[in-house]
Amino acid sequence: MLNQSEKAYCEALLDLKHKDYRAAAEHFDAAVLNFKDNREFNLLRETTNLLLAVKAERQGLDSKDKIEIEEVFSYGQEENLR
Amino acid sequence: MSYGDALQSLENLLESFLERAVAAKEERLQVLSGINRLDDIARATKDSGDFTDNLGEWFAEHNSWLSGDGLRPADALRINEILTEIREGLTTSADTSLALDKLGSEIDRWGQRATSTTQKLVLKRGPETPTESAEGSIDLFDRVLNRVTNLYADFSGSRQHILSALDDSLESAKEQKSKDALLLSAFIIYYLKLNNYLVDPYVKRLKEAESVIISEKRHA
Repeated sequence: MLNQSEKAYCEALLDLKHKDYRAAAEHFDAAVLNFKDNREFNLLRETTNLLLAVKAERQGLDSKDKIEIEEVFSYGQEENLR
Repeated sequence: MSYGDALQSLENLLESFLERAVAAKEERLQVLSGINRLDDIARATKDSGDFTDNLGEWFAEHNSWLSGDGLRPADALRINEILTEIREGLTTSADTSLALDKLGSEIDRWGQRATSTTQKLVLKRGPETPTESAEGSIDLFDRVLNRVTNLYADFSGSRQHILSALDDSLESAKEQKSKDALLLSAFIIYYLKLNNYLVDPYVKRLKEAESVIISEKRHA
């Protein structure tokens, strides 16, 4: 039978195909024991992790923008604006 | 360009790279995915015993592999190993329905495909007498040993771990079709095996490199 690392690597590639990057990263982590010296594996794994980090950073930027917009109407200043 | 735009651009670039990397492996991924699913079925066989529908579907879906040449010898062997395990479950099962009989004969058919792709190497030689040819083989092996030693020095020179040297060696065996690199890889793998390393993925790559070299030799 296939070992768990082989199965996980295969699942990770399928996740990438379906653009499920979070699941791919988890499967890459599960496969790392047997593939940590495989250059292709490392390239795909690190690229996936970088992509997730970039997505998280962008989400962070978006949420910061929302907070700034909300602050314009905070501190009970609405009455003064009328 | 703003920071947000730069991030967006990087995200697009990374997604595009991953998409193309996976697309380049699409054919291989289909095979691996099929083997992975068969492996899941084999595991389910042991757990629940109810697998006839899934296995029947798998055979129907992958029937084209039997006639096509997309399957590597190592893949055919891997499939045969998994099917053999399922077969053992069939023979110990008390249930001998028609469906199980059909699955059994289908497994046999796949087994024949695996054996037909397996390369058997038969070495023949005459009696061992101290003739010129015997001296020639000693010299020949001596030269190979020297070349392999030099190759190892190249691969290990800038590396921190023997697994990295093995990775380079396997890469060279497969990509450059180097027989010396193949011998070196086999030597390192056996050394690692004796030292309790997990060598299964490396053995798999060794077999792949071997089939590439054999195929190259056959077409030369």
